Amino acid sequence: MDSGYTLVICEKPDAARRVSDALSGGKPRSEQVEGTTVFRFSRKGEEFVVCAAQGHVYGVSDPLAERTVYPVFDVEWYPSDLIGESSANAAKRISAVRTLAAGASKFVNACDFDVEGETIGYNLLKYACGGKEKSALRATFSTLTEDDLVRAFDNLKPQSGQELARAGRARHAMDFVWGVNLSRALSQSALGSGHRYRTISVGRVQGPTLEFLAERELEIREFVPIPYWKASGTFEKDGVKLSVGYARDRVETKMLAEKIRQECVGKEAVVVALRRRATQVGPPVPFDIGELQKEAYRAFGYTPSRTLQIAERLYLGALISYPRTGSQKLPPSINYRAILRGLGRIPEYSAYSAELLKTEPKPVQGAKSDAAHPAIHPTGEKPRRRLDVSESMILDLVVRRFLAALGPSTRRELAEATLTVGEHEFRLTGGRTIFPGWIRYYGKYARYRDVELPPISEGDRFRVAGVTVEERFEQKPTRYNQSSLLEKMEKEGIGTKGTRADVIGTLVARGYVSGESMEITDLGLSVVETMAKYAPSIISTELTREIEDKLQAVERGSGDGAELLRDMVRTIAGQLAELSANEGAVGREIDSALIATAAKSFVLGRCPVCTTGELRIVRSKTTKKRFVGCSNYSNGCRASAPLPQKGNIKTTSKPCERCSWPIVLVVRGRRPWKLCVNPSCPGKVKS
Amino acid sequence: MKCQICGREAATDLCRYHIQAEERVRTAYSLWVKAYGGIEWKDFLDNVKRNPQTGQWAKEIAELLKG
Repeated sequence: MDSGYTLVICEKPDAARRVSDALSGGKPRSEQVEGTTVFRFSRKGEEFVVCAAQGHVYGVSDPLAERTVYPVFDVEWYPSDLIGESSANAAKRISAVRTLAAGASKFVNACDFDVEGETIGYNLLKYACGGKEKSALRATFSTLTEDDLVRAFDNLKPQSGQELARAGRARHAMDFVWGVNLSRALSQSALGSGHRYRTISVGRVQGPTLEFLAERELEIREFVPIPYWKASGTFEKDGVKLSVGYARDRVETKMLAEKIRQECVGKEAVVVALRRRATQVGPPVPFDIGELQKEAYRAFGYTPSRTLQIAERLYLGALISYPRTGSQKLPPSINYRAILRGLGRIPEYSAYSAELLKTEPKPVQGAKSDAAHPAIHPTGEKPRRRLDVSESMILDLVVRRFLAALGPSTRRELAEATLTVGEHEFRLTGGRTIFPGWIRYYGKYARYRDVELPPISEGDRFRVAGVTVEERFEQKPTRYNQSSLLEKMEKEGIGTKGTRADVIGTLVARGYVSGESMEITDLGLSVVETMAKYAPSIISTELTREIEDKLQAVERGSGDGAELLRDMVRTIAGQLAELSANEGAVGREIDSALIATAAKSFVLGRCPVCTTGELRIVRSKTTKKRFVGCSNYSNGCRASAPLPQKGNIKTTSKPCERCSWPIVLVVRGRRPWKLCVNPSCPGKVKS
Repeated sequence: MKCQICGREAATDLCRYHIQAEERVRTAYSLWVKAYGGIEWKDFLDNVKRNPQTGQWAKEIAELLKG
């Protein structure tokens, strides 16, 4: 092994290759060290070796690692493979860094510049490189383009990001102490009640998030709709008919609704006012990660975690900037013109790019900022590989949002006509785009639609041909979806931009939430109830927000992570004592919820054959195979259907639109698929 | 004591969720009376039970109150 080289540590193998390509001019030598690929090259007379972690290769655990023991407040950092957090890859990567560190004279942390990246780099420098975390240099960049990487390595900084690493390590330690103690307390309680062992966790951010879902679920389950009436009139003049809504959106009583009908039918409606006003609609602000996740959910139905994964792949392909950003600002340093010139080489965007290059590009800026990274934007580079459909869609959304942010305001004309029939007012509204501005760039993602008013003038008179009063009922509150839940978490200030999507994913994985509509299960509800009764601080939004604020102070260098951890240990110790003292009651409550949730998971929906029974997943006593059967079998209903024998079957609570049999989700491999269980469903194509 | 509807632990014959749901049903009745200019208690409960917007616990209470 040569001595005296600079060892560069990247966060992921793809990033290591990008860094090596950029710094070497595209010709790094690759070699194997301890079963991992590293890159070696010379730059300006200096020898570089570039290696990579694979996300976190160290994790927090307790020295005892005994799942029945709690409370646990002493924690240490261990290689991830030793504490069962990841595959043997972690061991190989640590081993490679350790081997390479022996021959290095200089160290560069080139992991992503945020809390997680800083923690990954810090841990490798501290544990695998023999305490080089303080002397190592820092390369900071927001895209993996050649220009950005070269600039970052020409401007290496000493000691940068130490606060982030301290905050990251404090966050990991706190989350471990919080999670492991509560998980063990709850799981042990359930075990004591006779249920087989099952992990029941309540993470620091999970608890309040689950409570949001529980609060909404309670509102839905207790909801009683109140009736109201909606009135509209059909007005006629010279053979032209207009359908016009009553000015008051909601008529409270049936009597008043009838009165409107009686007093209007056959009378004359007069256009008493016609107002048109021009309005300007400014461009949408650049994407931070939360806004990108919400927009991708709205446009494509992608869950926040899926969007984040796709965005990370696009970042590693140097197609977009670093996605885990809280910024909605695009500083001039990203070079708007260079990005537009790059986009100009892509046919779909070349016309827009040419238009914007004729102006002095100046993007609209959002309110949120992030010291480490700008808002998410395209790099203007062409993909080096073929993108899959989802990657192309997210990239298109990011590109169009960037173009829209640089575009001029849209001008729209809003129109409103008021017609009166005696004392009753009816109203017509419309709107149209006069100058499209940024809407052209944002394309199909823009939400404005043109609704033209019919050609009417003030003083026009119409005959009231008919008035309809329709009985309506208030709608029950809607359940959160993954996007609106993410928005709620953001609004309440819990979780971080990079971890909120994972928290939501964990709630689904733990069985606290089922289906796409994020319906809380009996188990989820029981966990919230139990916490509210015995350990209310655990699900307190205020406490979680307070901890988050203090962690951010540590990130900024104005807080003490160790002190914060001590405070948190004091809080959790009190709550654990309460849980432990009531272990029997806690266990009984969770146990009954586990049984109810398990029973519900076998029910697929109403039987379309007998219409009174439920179709359920049943296992044959003779063949041991699973199939669908009706709960009314003993009463003569013979509805049944085969099921795939491999993979998990999950209920969707949705009937098939073609045949009304239940739709199930078959989870096998990486891509779950939906299946109508009816083998004779007319929607199925026969081969 | 267990809730007579769902079997949850309860201080009376109903759990706290079904007690809350009962309050909601009774409050809603006065609003329905006002909206329709009068409606029989039994007809109200029938309508509440049938309405797809009614929540699960409110439906269960309507069923119980109908007797």
